[in-house]
Amino acid sequence: MVETDTSSVSHKLRRRLVLILVLGVVGMLGMVLVSLCMGTVNYPPSVVIDSLVNVFNNGVQSGLDRTIYNLRLPRVLAAFAVGAGLAVAGIVFQAIIRNPLVDPYMTGVSSGAGLGASLYMVFFASAAFVGYNYAMPLFAFVFATAAFMLTFGISRLSGNTNVSFVLAGVIAAMGFSAMTTILMLTNESKTHGILGFLYGSFSSVSWETAMIMIVPVVVISLIFMLYSRTFNVVLLGREQSMELGVNYDRFRLLSMLLASFLTAVCVSFVGIIGFVGLIVPHIARMALGGDHRLIIPASIIMGALLLAGADILIKELINVAGITVPVGAITTLIGIPFFIYIMKRRGKGYA
Amino acid sequence: MPDGSVEMEGVNVHYEGFHALHDIMLSVKPGELMAIIGPNGCGKSTTMRTINGLLKAVSGSLTVCGLDVRSVSLEEMAKLCSNIPTEFPPDFNLSVYEVVMLGRYPHRKNVWWETDEDEEVVKGALRMFGIDHLFDRDITQLSSGERQRTLIAKAYVQQPRIMLVDEPTAHLDIRYTLEVMQYFKDLISREKGMSIIIAAHDLNSVAKFCDRITMMKQGRIVACGTPEEVITSENIEKVYGVKADVIKHGDNIVMIPLNPVKDGE
Repeated sequence: MVETDTSSVSHKLRRRLVLILVLGVVGMLGMVLVSLCMGTVNYPPSVVIDSLVNVFNNGVQSGLDRTIYNLRLPRVLAAFAVGAGLAVAGIVFQAIIRNPLVDPYMTGVSSGAGLGASLYMVFFASAAFVGYNYAMPLFAFVFATAAFMLTFGISRLSGNTNVSFVLAGVIAAMGFSAMTTILMLTNESKTHGILGFLYGSFSSVSWETAMIMIVPVVVISLIFMLYSRTFNVVLLGREQSMELGVNYDRFRLLSMLLASFLTAVCVSFVGIIGFVGLIVPHIARMALGGDHRLIIPASIIMGALLLAGADILIKELINVAGITVPVGAITTLIGIPFFIYIMKRRGKGYA
Repeated sequence: MPDGSVEMEGVNVHYEGFHALHDIMLSVKPGELMAIIGPNGCGKSTTMRTINGLLKAVSGSLTVCGLDVRSVSLEEMAKLCSNIPTEFPPDFNLSVYEVVMLGRYPHRKNVWWETDEDEEVVKGALRMFGIDHLFDRDITQLSSGERQRTLIAKAYVQQPRIMLVDEPTAHLDIRYTLEVMQYFKDLISREKGMSIIIAAHDLNSVAKFCDRITMMKQGRIVACGTPEEVITSENIEKVYGVKADVIKHGDNIVMIPLNPVKDGE
């Protein structure tokens, strides 16, 4: 018999985790620097670093400081938060539903947020009204929450199985989308704004809105990471998880509520950004295997880098070609061929 | 360490609004290899899921390892009782090592890492069941024999006192069937005081390997005893509705199914 070296598997796991974290931190620092350099005016890295040092020592003084510290920095951090949040929500939904082709919008969160934002734009968005920064996200968030509560409710009525969850989410999403479409078509002057939200953008992010996303993303991601081993177990399904001592029903409910909440927070401020929560966990699994202790942190990092990268691309498209492309359209265009590839390669098993 | 005993007395279980088990009396002794046989839907799996607490009895008493099941939490039960399912985990890029390691979950010492002891136990199990050369193989790429051994290893590292096995040989050819049943036989003699309960369709391999057999029909126990006492032409006809010859060949009891009994008795 072949003697295979299985020595110190858990040490290998530790080394790989450290490597992921180191690469991640380096990658994210690099991405921050590139993001701060690029925009309507491109600055060399030395100017950006000087400005940051100046802000650190003396506070925001010049217009340059404002651009870099008050506009570009929160924007890239928000992109990190949303990318990480959607990726981690995606991985959680995939583990719980036991289907790697599920995404964080499966509970209708995105359609709910879309309707909330549309309602605000059509009925309340008069200029003198409350600060745009909060009122619209609040509307979006309330409706996103309503959507996933509705999904949970329908699913509960129909046996609370994974299939009933997926179907309930589809139904909720269809209902909210239909109402959004009606609003859009009966208020043509608002169509552009609504479409902008439906495909997402980071252009209106401030420090405050960035922090509102970053805090829940960090807290909830850490909670999920603490339960990585439990996520490995729930891949076995309800009965087999319970046989390993997991209180499956409670664990599933809590993780889906947290993941839905996380998705709702992300969607409410920057709109609907598709496919991040689907593709990123997949790449992580292809590269690292199935252990959530590796793929949750890896997905957080890759999701953050992917969205920040897409946002840089958008800034460049405005500069070079003069066109404004919503970030959700970019991620969707990248995502669809990838999705088809995954389906072709592995989809046969998910009948 | 507690003994792997099961005592069921007058246990009734309702499952999805259906009276699935009637007055079950079943006693499994430590060190015993017990089989539960009977046609589809007779209550084999329901009985096993009642033993490990997934289903609750509406009446009767049930003790596992001397403990009243109602007082045992899921976490505690996971250390007493492991289950070898027929269903395999879905395609999530888990390796053989990772799947077997899941069996250590009930014994975890901290939230994040497995201990050296966990690793020792898992590697020992991989060697014991001859799958150490497959340790980093994706579980979906295994043959059915390898896959069954992986699931046995996972249940073994849970270090249970009672092992519940659902249809262990359903997808196996005769060679693997013999091998797998022999693993259970060996486990019983190596792990002092452990018991194994196997739900099965393959009467001949059960008769060859198990100490006692419980025969069920429509949620009731029809017969319980040694293979010789239970595997009889009368019992097979009564429970399965099949005419069969039962012959003794050396030490083995062999059941040869002949034809279904005509309906309308």
